Amino acid sequence: MRTSIRAMTLLVLLLCFPMIPSHGHAEGLAKEQVLTIAFDAGDAKTFDPHRAASTVDRSTVDSMFNGLVRYPPGRQVGFEPDLAESWEVSKDGKTWTFHLRKGVYFHPFPGFPEGYELTSEDVVYSLQRAANPEHSAYAGEYEGVQVKAVDPYTLQIQIAKPISETLFLAKFANYAGGFIVSKKALETKGEDWFKTHPVGTGPFRFENYEPQQKTVLARHDKYFRGKPILEKVVIRYMPNVSSREFGLRTGELQIIEGLNEAKWIEKVATFPDVKVQTFGPCEVQMLHFNMTKKPFDDIRVRKAFCYAVSRAEVAAFMGESLAEPIYSGALAPPAPGALTKQEAEEAGVVYEDNVEMAKKLLAEAGYPNGFETEVIISELATSYRKPMVALQAQVKKAGINMKKLKVVDHSSFHGLIRDDASPLVYYACWRPNVDVFLTRFFHSDSTVVSGKKPDTNFSHYGTVDADGDGTIDTIDQLIEQARWELDAQKQADLWRKAQIQLLSDVSHLPVIRLKYAFPMKSYVDLGHPLEYSWQTYSPQITEKTRILAH
Amino acid sequence: MFTYVVRRILQSIPILFVVLTLVFVVVRVLPGDPAVAALGDYASKEAVEALREKMGLNAPLWLQYIRFLGSLARGDLGISAITGYPVAQQVVKVLPHTLELTFCAIVFGYLLGIPLGISSAVKRNTFVDYFNRVFSLLGLSVPAFYLGILLILLFCIQFPLFPVVGAGDFSRPVENLRHLFLPGLTLGLLMTAYVTRMTRSSILDTIREDFVRTAYAKGVAERVVLYKHVLRNAMIPIVTLGGLYAVVLIGSSVMVEIVFSRPGLGKLMVGAIKQRDYTTLQSVMVIYAVIVVMINLAIDLIYGLIDPRIKYD
Repeated sequence: MRTSIRAMTLLVLLLCFPMIPSHGHAEGLAKEQVLTIAFDAGDAKTFDPHRAASTVDRSTVDSMFNGLVRYPPGRQVGFEPDLAESWEVSKDGKTWTFHLRKGVYFHPFPGFPEGYELTSEDVVYSLQRAANPEHSAYAGEYEGVQVKAVDPYTLQIQIAKPISETLFLAKFANYAGGFIVSKKALETKGEDWFKTHPVGTGPFRFENYEPQQKTVLARHDKYFRGKPILEKVVIRYMPNVSSREFGLRTGELQIIEGLNEAKWIEKVATFPDVKVQTFGPCEVQMLHFNMTKKPFDDIRVRKAFCYAVSRAEVAAFMGESLAEPIYSGALAPPAPGALTKQEAEEAGVVYEDNVEMAKKLLAEAGYPNGFETEVIISELATSYRKPMVALQAQVKKAGINMKKLKVVDHSSFHGLIRDDASPLVYYACWRPNVDVFLTRFFHSDSTVVSGKKPDTNFSHYGTVDADGDGTIDTIDQLIEQARWELDAQKQADLWRKAQIQLLSDVSHLPVIRLKYAFPMKSYVDLGHPLEYSWQTYSPQITEKTRILAH
Repeated sequence: MFTYVVRRILQSIPILFVVLTLVFVVVRVLPGDPAVAALGDYASKEAVEALREKMGLNAPLWLQYIRFLGSLARGDLGISAITGYPVAQQVVKVLPHTLELTFCAIVFGYLLGIPLGISSAVKRNTFVDYFNRVFSLLGLSVPAFYLGILLILLFCIQFPLFPVVGAGDFSRPVENLRHLFLPGLTLGLLMTAYVTRMTRSSILDTIREDFVRTAYAKGVAERVVLYKHVLRNAMIPIVTLGGLYAVVLIGSSVMVEIVFSRPGLGKLMVGAIKQRDYTTLQSVMVIYAVIVVMINLAIDLIYGLIDPRIKYD
């Protein structure tokens, strides 16, 4: 009897043995180094780095590709070497010479089971591809750029007019067109194959993709910074925030894209084994006044609108731990050349938090009883709808009645605002530098519908008399002047001057910048501090990222 | 029978044609540029134009329509301009998940709904009947996304019996079933509500028929009367309901797919609408239309198996 009891006990223990968690490793690492990260996305759109635009796609390609230089992970201010170990610029500023690292290997792919070593030929091919609008969404960034291979590890990039390092290196960093793709993979397998089987030099290589479910990346053993600690990275497409939250709680997910809402973050932070780190600054949120539409053609009305707004209240509404008021006309500090609050105040271009002044200006403009207006706004809550609701409530106190917020899906929103259909455009975005921001939003050529290259100049700045003095107001020359200025300080000053002019003419109202939240299991170590992550909007997964024993 | 099937299939062609034309027109009336949706708002104007050209969006509408019909006639569902994947390949990967979810929901619906409906009918106007009717009303009233979240909280968080994330792998049936159970139950409770109500009313109608009274008069046991005579005759509307609601379930599955992070045809369609992925959207709608036609045809054919009086000319 006693023997049978012992045997039964042993059997039960044996059956239970696999259920006892066994994550520990002697070195403090979990036995299974598989990281699952879930994004707020229904599916992947593309794995082509020269086309990736959404948060999830940018994050995925970021782990598979490199640039010549890169933004330091987690603190993306300035540049550091990536595929290029050094570079120099000629005296005339028109020729940049890059020296590539040796021993950088592409991921294996059919025909090249061991991958192959990166040479300048790949970089030349890749940058030419980035400049081709047939294959790249960012072709406009590479106009007039000539690239040639000098030897297998040296290449030269020539530009027609010298530009500052800030602007130049941004084109060749690990963002958008700057990612280096495999020439041999594209030449032997073709563009269509590459779109679904990306081949880069990054710490992780593409393994497989299941539509609407996941993409699996596997460790690139020959990664030039060393063999990554993680064996696999699983990128999950989960558009429902509750599901992501539940997945994090059960441990099926280790990192999730969160809601940028303070209350939600406070709740998730109470979950066991979960840490919530917010990072930024990411996108800036601004309200653009369409100066061709009444009553916003009158600067007094635009100023009244600004005076009716309290940025601090909007930030509080969004959650003080996440949102912060901004006063810059383009991007936000620490981006070089972005105007600080102090600089804006000194220039006298801060109009806010004064309802009485708003009413007075409206009366002067012929609207003593205020006016009504309609606004088209995107369905996206934190970047568009929610801050717009806060503005709607604030300006109503001054008599401005945004009686109807016409909420449309995000694609419709982008279509309608580019058709000049809304008198006010609330827009949230990030751009790699102030030059791009000013060009795309305020250069006369970028004016929606009527510009030479219609883009996102929703205010029509540069084509209208903004301040009512009888002349067209423009910053086109300032943008051009700053672009070709080589001295970083002078360039930043010119950008500030342009912003002061815009804010003085009240073409738009900078409102807030929003941090992002990606809750993660406490045993996930990213391998780098997470302060800024603006080119991916998400924590970067690098060769140093690891899962600790838990 | 064969002639009947061929005739029904031929009759469905105009229906498909109308659906295709409507979808083609409606997606193009919506504001938003597929090229901008694909490349993002930071894309250069040249790149957006190049993609529009590649997608054939710069061609006149009538030409785009003819190209679309031509591709379909060749059996080509096209290539998604957003992902670069052939639409047929995407559909083949996600359709089995939608079908297994729908099938599972129907199974749950009948397994739970028929006994509840029978007990309601037999014990009409008693506590059991009231309880079943309230239960079925709840199934109809509670949105699938809410019910799904409640089930996750209960069976994944409080009692961690099932996984939350993903749809599992078809090559691992046990894992697949574990992933399927809760989504199937969520959608199945909707189906249960319909089946319960229909079973109850159908049995109440049948139970008053002369042949039932005759069976009782002959001294046939109640259980035999109920299951052999009443239920078989009451099944016709219940089977019809299954067919009709299979179509509804496929349509309703999108919320369940989103809550349980499962792939599926509904999710593919919603994504295509959001991205203005005309090619995928048009193709998915075609597949939906074909599924509806085929299910209706299948139901008509099943009638003959249940009711020998029905003949196909």
